[in-house]
Amino acid sequence: MYELLVEFCRWIQSTSWAQAILTSSWAFPYVQLTHFTGLSLWIGTNALLDLRLLGAGKKRQTAAQLSDALLVWNWIGFGIAVLGGFLLFSISATIYIRNPAFRIKLGVLLPLALLLHVVVQRKACAWDQEDTPMTAKLIGLAELTLWFCVASAAVLIPYFFGPADLQ
Amino acid sequence: MMQHLFESLQHNSWITGMNSSPWISAFLEVTHYFSFFVLVGAIAIVDLRIMGLAGRRQSATRLAEQAFPWIWTGLCFASLSGFVMFAGQATDYLHNSIFHRKLLVILLATIFGAWVQHSVSKWDQSASMPARAKVVALVSLTLWVGAILMGVDVPAITGVG
Repeated sequence: MYELLVEFCRWIQSTSWAQAILTSSWAFPYVQLTHFTGLSLWIGTNALLDLRLLGAGKKRQTAAQLSDALLVWNWIGFGIAVLGGFLLFSISATIYIRNPAFRIKLGVLLPLALLLHVVVQRKACAWDQEDTPMTAKLIGLAELTLWFCVASAAVLIPYFFGPADLQ
Repeated sequence: MMQHLFESLQHNSWITGMNSSPWISAFLEVTHYFSFFVLVGAIAIVDLRIMGLAGRRQSATRLAEQAFPWIWTGLCFASLSGFVMFAGQATDYLHNSIFHRKLLVILLATIFGAWVQHSVSKWDQSASMPARAKVVALVSLTLWVGAILMGVDVPAITGVG
């Protein structure tokens, strides 16, 4: 199974788009820009809702109203982030696949955070009162913490690069 | 003068202490990214709402009032963590024109953000958003995307960071 994954990584790295980004003198920062712009929309809108569920900050909108206002751009942000992330992955796929921080990010933290996010979004439309119940507070705090962990794992990826990865 | 100031900043024992610890460096980086995402995402949704592209069932004023405290909180954390990371390599940034441009873009974006916060309730009173409001929101949004581009360009082009 793992062999198959490594084979897939080798293939993706050899595709024309991955090679084009890799050999281009200007493309890489724009791929990073795509990933970070998507993440800003995704994390920013997630955090606004989570903090509202927690009951921190202003209460000018209920969680249900805020969730409704954020929903569309929340998922547009996710789409942009995934596109940028996929391109970043494809240029060094064989290196990323053996990186422990990347494995924990993609294999454990991201699926957990996504699952919780879908739960939060489904529940939020029912929380239309000024003060959110304890369940909402806990679930909001949990989601915010999980996304911070996802970002931490991402930041730690280069810390695990070995000498062979940097060539 | 600047050279001297930047050197003494870089050799400050607090700054060298924080930047030489891999755990503190990683924590500063995560804080910088995460608070920046909150800042940009939150202001983007307000700008998009003013432009008529998001959450039209909710009032723009209420959304702005909900978001702005977190926008400025994000800016505070991103600036503080950014300053400590900058200080650790201060002299490398002294003649780094992309880094200077990044700071300029962020300053302009912050001014436009304050403009949006100040004017949104006034704009919201008319039946539809005035054209001027949409222009201000578009400029604000563009400047923040520009700030991200400058941010990724600093290490990608100049190799510093």
